[in-house]
Amino acid sequence: MKSEGFKRHGSNSYVAEFAANEREILINLTEQIIELLAERIDHGQEDPLAAMVGITSHDSPPEDEVLHRLLPNAYQDGVDSAEFRRYTESTLRSKKQAHAMAMRMYLKSAEDGTVDLEHDGANAWLGAINDMRLALGVRLNVQERTQDELELLAPDDPMRGVYVVYGWLGWLQEGLIEALMDEN
Amino acid sequence: MMVKTDTRIEEQIREIFSNDAPWVTIIWDDPVNLMTYVTYVLMELFSYPKAKAQELMMKVHTEGKAVVSTGSREEMEHDVARLHEYGLWATLQRGDQEI
Repeated sequence: MKSEGFKRHGSNSYVAEFAANEREILINLTEQIIELLAERIDHGQEDPLAAMVGITSHDSPPEDEVLHRLLPNAYQDGVDSAEFRRYTESTLRSKKQAHAMAMRMYLKSAEDGTVDLEHDGANAWLGAINDMRLALGVRLNVQERTQDELELLAPDDPMRGVYVVYGWLGWLQEGLIEALMDEN
Repeated sequence: MMVKTDTRIEEQIREIFSNDAPWVTIIWDDPVNLMTYVTYVLMELFSYPKAKAQELMMKVHTEGKAVVSTGSREEMEHDVARLHEYGLWATLQRGDQEI
């Protein structure tokens, strides 16, 4: 990884340069997040009018562990959670997709690898990077494994590469936050 | 004794009918979210000063959870939705319920 991360330029500009392979990895991750968050389709079960205003017929948490982490329960109580989910899950999916789409757009238009974010764009990046880290974190099982265990993954372990990207995303996110906090 | 009991019942009834009975939003500790990120999100979403946001973040980190906002049920549902948008692990509940 070559990028030096985000640096603040002036009052509302946060700039980073990415190598071609870094840009590709990030674009790929945004696309996976966008796809992952696509609506659940319950064939024949959706009420089209309700769907139009963002109410869905499903109220149980997603079965996929990654999606469950991205779309968590709002209440510890199952009944209240289900009700809340019916009215809000669709909006939450769209908002998270919008973060990833904004990030993808910045990367796609940065043909020379230079990304220049203003404040709102930076917030979208932070949200999208965090969703990527949450998703990769589930795959890496960071809930159960200690950092030492993760550091000691063998070079030929397929999770090794995932852990490198996970760590790099955290470093990128941290640098952007430092650049944003600089003005306070 | 009698007076004391009546007061308690009155309190409970008032709570049931009151629209502004306090609810709370709780953030739970998560090994993925960076400490600086949790602090930044609290500053952005709630306009908390840096010191307050850092204090709440440390509470989440050391105690496993922290109440980050208080208000009506609707307000707390709004706060939880915004925290979920930014990937923080948040739930809401009645303020008098054990966390």
